[in-house]
Amino acid sequence: MTHSVTPDLSARVGSVLLKNPVMSASGTFGYGLEFMPFYDISRLGAVIVKGLSLLPTPGNPPGRIVETPAGMLNAIGLQNIGVERFVNEVAPRLDDAGAVYVANVYGRTIEEYEAVARRLSDLPGLAAIEVNASCPNVKEGGIAFGSSPGGLSGLTRRVRAATEKPLWVKLSPNVSDIGAIARAAEEAGADAVTLINTIVGMAVDPRTRRPMLSNVTGGLSGPAVKPVALRMVWEACKAVKIPVVGIGGIQSPGDALEFLLVGAAAVQVGTANFRNPNACVEIVDGIREFFVREKIFRLDDYRGTLLLRE
Amino acid sequence: MPHGSPRFVHGKILHNSGSGIFYRMEVAIPERIDFVPGQFAMVSGWPGNDPLLPRPLAIFRSGGVRGKGTVEFVYKVVGRGTALLSGLHAGDPLALTLPLGHGFEFPGEDRSWWLVGGGVGFSSVFPAAVALEGERADFEIFLGARSRDQLPPGEWIPGGAVPGRVHLCTDDGTAGFFGTAAAALRDRIDRRRSAGPSRVSILACGPREMLKAVAELALPLDIRVQVSLESSMACGFGVCWGCVTAIRDGEKSGYRRICKEGPVFDAREVVW
Ligand SMILES: Cc1cc2nc3c(=O)[nH]c(=O)nc-3n(C[C@H](O)[C@H](O)[C@H](O)COP(=O)(O)OP(=O)(O)OC[C@H]3O[C@@H](n4cnc5c(N)ncnc54)[C@H](O)[C@@H]3O)c2cc1C
Ligand SMILES: Cc1cc2nc3c(=O)[nH]c(=O)nc-3n(C[C@H](O)[C@H](O)[C@H](O)COP(=O)(O)O)c2cc1C
Ligand code: FES
Repeated sequence: MTHSVTPDLSARVGSVLLKNPVMSASGTFGYGLEFMPFYDISRLGAVIVKGLSLLPTPGNPPGRIVETPAGMLNAIGLQNIGVERFVNEVAPRLDDAGAVYVANVYGRTIEEYEAVARRLSDLPGLAAIEVNASCPNVKEGGIAFGSSPGGLSGLTRRVRAATEKPLWVKLSPNVSDIGAIARAAEEAGADAVTLINTIVGMAVDPRTRRPMLSNVTGGLSGPAVKPVALRMVWEACKAVKIPVVGIGGIQSPGDALEFLLVGAAAVQVGTANFRNPNACVEIVDGIREFFVREKIFRLDDYRGTLLLRE
Repeated sequence: MPHGSPRFVHGKILHNSGSGIFYRMEVAIPERIDFVPGQFAMVSGWPGNDPLLPRPLAIFRSGGVRGKGTVEFVYKVVGRGTALLSGLHAGDPLALTLPLGHGFEFPGEDRSWWLVGGGVGFSSVFPAAVALEGERADFEIFLGARSRDQLPPGEWIPGGAVPGRVHLCTDDGTAGFFGTAAAALRDRIDRRRSAGPSRVSILACGPREMLKAVAELALPLDIRVQVSLESSMACGFGVCWGCVTAIRDGEKSGYRRICKEGPVFDAREVVW
């Protein structure tokens, strides 16, 4: 009988230790609790909750989503319950569920980002704060801060000073030099960068002559963005020393392994949760099976081992 | 798992065949599920990533014995997803998340029920009729379609054998009442007024304009109306916030998720 050792899938994102490298991506996992009928959410590396703002935000009018080949466009506009209700109503239930969780935050002004981060800092169970500097669907804030190294560095510095929690900065792919943006976040004190957020896109109806989204443009996600995301994660890994978390079009264990191979410390799974609510845990199990098959004992032995030359 | 909470299951198609423009598909699933009429499933059955997202379909019927379950859908081919579904055969796998959403409510004090289905909206309304039949409640069905060939087959219509219970309506007059289901309902409301008051409640599913017309007819007369709304959905279980509609909630109004707080809403709350 062959005796197989259970591989060690634990992953480290800066000071945050995860039992495995698979997290849910913000905005695609609700507040996490919605997945409890499907599986035990403490099986994930971490749950990244829906982007939180200081006050509850109504979001954009419908239509908010359009399907595109192998992808989707969304213009949700960050509808959320606000940080106060998250702290009081959701966080205790995530604690009870034994989940490691990270809050994704968003503000219209730098002061609002700071205020949300400060409010979250009191939460003992919160593993990290992920700053969304890259939402393409709101006029103020978001992408306005994330699309230039100067803007991102200013935002990161101020939020860094507002909280003791580990700070992850989520980067926009809608930039020409992702390495420069990632370095700006690193120099301003980010503990990790996470990428990519959605790619700005558009869909129109030739018959009605109207845009399909009320916001006209939206953010593209899903398998269609994976090659772009993989390239950007690879470039970011080369540009910075802090951990890089890979996101974009991950649907299968193989997709996740590709991001780990180019150097990502961990990954986040987004749109795949919509088609298959069990996607995240199936990816954890698939990575484990791959490691058993390939006789890889630790995630660290695999991560960043892309072979570029003969 | 708590009763009625959603689950993601892999099913196997038992049969899938067309009758006119409608397809009826029965799927074997690992366990029996209970559902409330108006609840739905997210269904994806095609390999590959295009289309990427599952499609919402109302649960038409569920059954099963000895721990094994079945679930049945009725659908109309309108685009890529439903076209791919219609090409699947017995034995093909299907992934389903179900049961989802809030279905119709059946308040005890209501004596009679008018069920209004427009187009394929009958697939939400018929399970309600079956439930009311089981309760021996008094109901009538108003079914609207563009023309005769767009109506569901007679044998699918619950209670169809009872005279006066089913009102077929066609826009072009090729079958039944010449006009929309909402217009037939207006006639019925007029007749009821002359017959004296009785508690009546309306359940409706169909195109938004039809639902709006039904609400505008019935609400001023204090008839309770529940409408089942549609929208394109990404997840179907409340996590993407893509499917919202504007809802009035007392003083407050805001966007509510059709998949989670709906698809059935009290028509008084809907901002049309
Ligand atoms: C809760 C719920 C229950 C439903 N139950 C049923 C059912 O039991 N049987 C059934 O046949 N259909 C039902 N539908 C509608 C069904 O989901 C759509 O017809 C289907 O998603 C279309 O997919 P497709 O890929 O074939 O079309 P697509 O290629 O996605 O679209 C084709 C055309 O249909 C339009 N369209 C797509 N989806 C919708 C929608 N939801 N509402 C209005 N227009 C749309 C598109 O704008 C486009 O013009 C339900 C919808 C909801 C929200
Ligand atoms: C419906 C939807 C809502 C999203 N909301 C947020 C959000 O609130 N904050 C954020 O940082 N990213 C948000 N994102 C971006 C995702 O977290 C992720 O970066 C992106 O979808 C790419 O990953 P994927 O291809 O696996 O979905 C959202 C994406 C989708 C599809
Ligand atoms: S379809 Fe995702 S929230 Fe309703």
